[in-house]
Amino acid sequence: MASIELKDISFCYPGSATPVIEALDLEVERGEAHALLGASGSGKTTLLSLLSGLLRPTGGAIVFDGNEVTDLSPRERHVAQVFQFPVLYERMSVIENITFAIREQSAQIDARVQHIVEALGLGKISALRPGQLSLYQKQICAVAKALANPEVSLILLDEPLTSVEPAAKARLREVLTAAQNEFATTMIYVTHDQTEALTFAQRVSVITEQGILQTAPPDEIYNQPAHEYVGYFVGSPGMNFVTREGERVGFRPEWCHLHATSGIAVEVTTCRFEGTRAGRAHGLVELSSASGPLFYRGPIDAVKTGTQTRLGIDRGLRYRDARMVGVL
Amino acid sequence: MLQLTNVRLFNRALPTFEHSFAPGRIHVVLGTNQAGKTNLCRLIAGLPCSASGDITFDGTPLPAPRARRGTAAMVYQAFVNYPNLTVAQNIASPLRAQKLSTAQAEARVANLAATLHIDDLLDRLPHELSGGQQQRVAIARALAKRARVLLLDEPLVNLDFKLREALQRELRALLEDQATTVIYTSTDTRDAFSLADELLLLQDGTKLQSGALEDVYAKPQSSAAMALLSDAPLNVLERDGSKHFIRPEHVYLRPPTAPQISFDMFVRNYVTNGNTTYIQGEVENHTWVMRHPGVWSGSDNSNVKVSVDTQDLRRF
Repeated sequence: MASIELKDISFCYPGSATPVIEALDLEVERGEAHALLGASGSGKTTLLSLLSGLLRPTGGAIVFDGNEVTDLSPRERHVAQVFQFPVLYERMSVIENITFAIREQSAQIDARVQHIVEALGLGKISALRPGQLSLYQKQICAVAKALANPEVSLILLDEPLTSVEPAAKARLREVLTAAQNEFATTMIYVTHDQTEALTFAQRVSVITEQGILQTAPPDEIYNQPAHEYVGYFVGSPGMNFVTREGERVGFRPEWCHLHATSGIAVEVTTCRFEGTRAGRAHGLVELSSASGPLFYRGPIDAVKTGTQTRLGIDRGLRYRDARMVGVL
Repeated sequence: MLQLTNVRLFNRALPTFEHSFAPGRIHVVLGTNQAGKTNLCRLIAGLPCSASGDITFDGTPLPAPRARRGTAAMVYQAFVNYPNLTVAQNIASPLRAQKLSTAQAEARVANLAATLHIDDLLDRLPHELSGGQQQRVAIARALAKRARVLLLDEPLVNLDFKLREALQRELRALLEDQATTVIYTSTDTRDAFSLADELLLLQDGTKLQSGALEDVYAKPQSSAAMALLSDAPLNVLERDGSKHFIRPEHVYLRPPTAPQISFDMFVRNYVTNGNTTYIQGEVENHTWVMRHPGVWSGSDNSNVKVSVDTQDLRRF
């Protein structure tokens, strides 16, 4: 049974003629880590507010564990939120913050809290106040607080890593993923950052103004984008598109090779070093072609800026009316 | 050539360092928060800060901070524009000091706006723009100044992922052909790879290493310098009583070839973003991360054979 269901949801801000969200359907399984990935203006924050109950949909129904919650307040929905900037009580210690919202007292709850504190590595800092913590530690504390309350049925994470610096990001992501695996709490993670979405979630929904374009596991989103926009939006840089024999063909920068005997005529515009593999320099090459700029990623030891060559496609997907229709 | 000597980035007992920024190159200053990146920019721009040092440009000492404004232009992390001026007026604001004719000024504004794809927004006010558009205006204004030094202090950090990617590429194309010394600060390794000709690595107010991107990558002088240029933590291998460091992308699942060492890794977990899989596990009591290209179809809590090339091991 699905844990969270959005059925035919629409939302229109009061006084506005154009709906932000129209006829949107989404199902998130119980215990699933789900990411909503989209650019700013895609409606992902609105969708988050609809899930939390801060906004009410203008049409459709929201169902949690089989019960309709469309008209329930945030409190009645038992949803916990983790924001970009963690919200903690400054006068309370870490452990007091974590247990503050728990109404029920029992040995079982104490054991649960203890387990969460250990699993998230908060043992050493549980007596400290938020003012003494780094942003990274505060964010873990906010996650622990959400996990600790047994009444919470859904955790919404709103760009939780955005303000954390890159070095701590990887660690926080690991802690989040481990906690999600261990406690199997349903989590919905909203972000514009594809790396965060793909590495955190079991399934990702790519959202745009047109609604959700694809919901699939991370490798499927990357390797079989159902829509041209998903191909472009996921991947850095995104998918290359060319027209061949009247058909659109999409391929990733690493799905092609240079110096092909036949293929697309290209000229090397720029070449950026990205590291070495097996002793060879690898990098990203920008190419100009009749179809506009294209990208190749791979070994660059034989690449020279300004030279003309051919680009061979090793793997490609066919698109019709922006929808994927098959493999090349 | 912009030369800095006796630099102290914080007002405390730190060893001083010196550094030269070559003209016409893009210098990425990479460091974590509190490394002193913003202070370095403010010092060069002549803005109040706790950093100190002597600065010369082509051998001539820079004037006192107040008179330095014409030499350096700065773009900040937060989008700073004049709120009551239109986009066109914002971009044109530094031109007043340059005594250009109205026609010349208008042409310069139009040109910059076109390059930064904001030419259809010239009559708008900053608050009517998105974050990305506002930052483009700030960058256009800094470029209009035609300063000898352009300082970009984490200019893209608050922007959407895709927009950041596009602006990075545009910025590079835009700055490449200019004689300007470009100094770009970041906490993000990806910025170094996508933008830098030259790198300056900072940590806790001190200079770790500098040089061309490829050289700093191939010949790190310390484990800290090596780690700063890696998007995942470094791996440690203990052999003959000393610690060897290896980058996550230099650990392979492939069968052994040339001079290499292979061993078992106990996989704890792995995450994939489609084009790369990060496999985390344990090797000889150390936590390791392997960056594997593509999707990996293995499983948690299993042993895998991994290998490293001896040429990729670094000892400090």
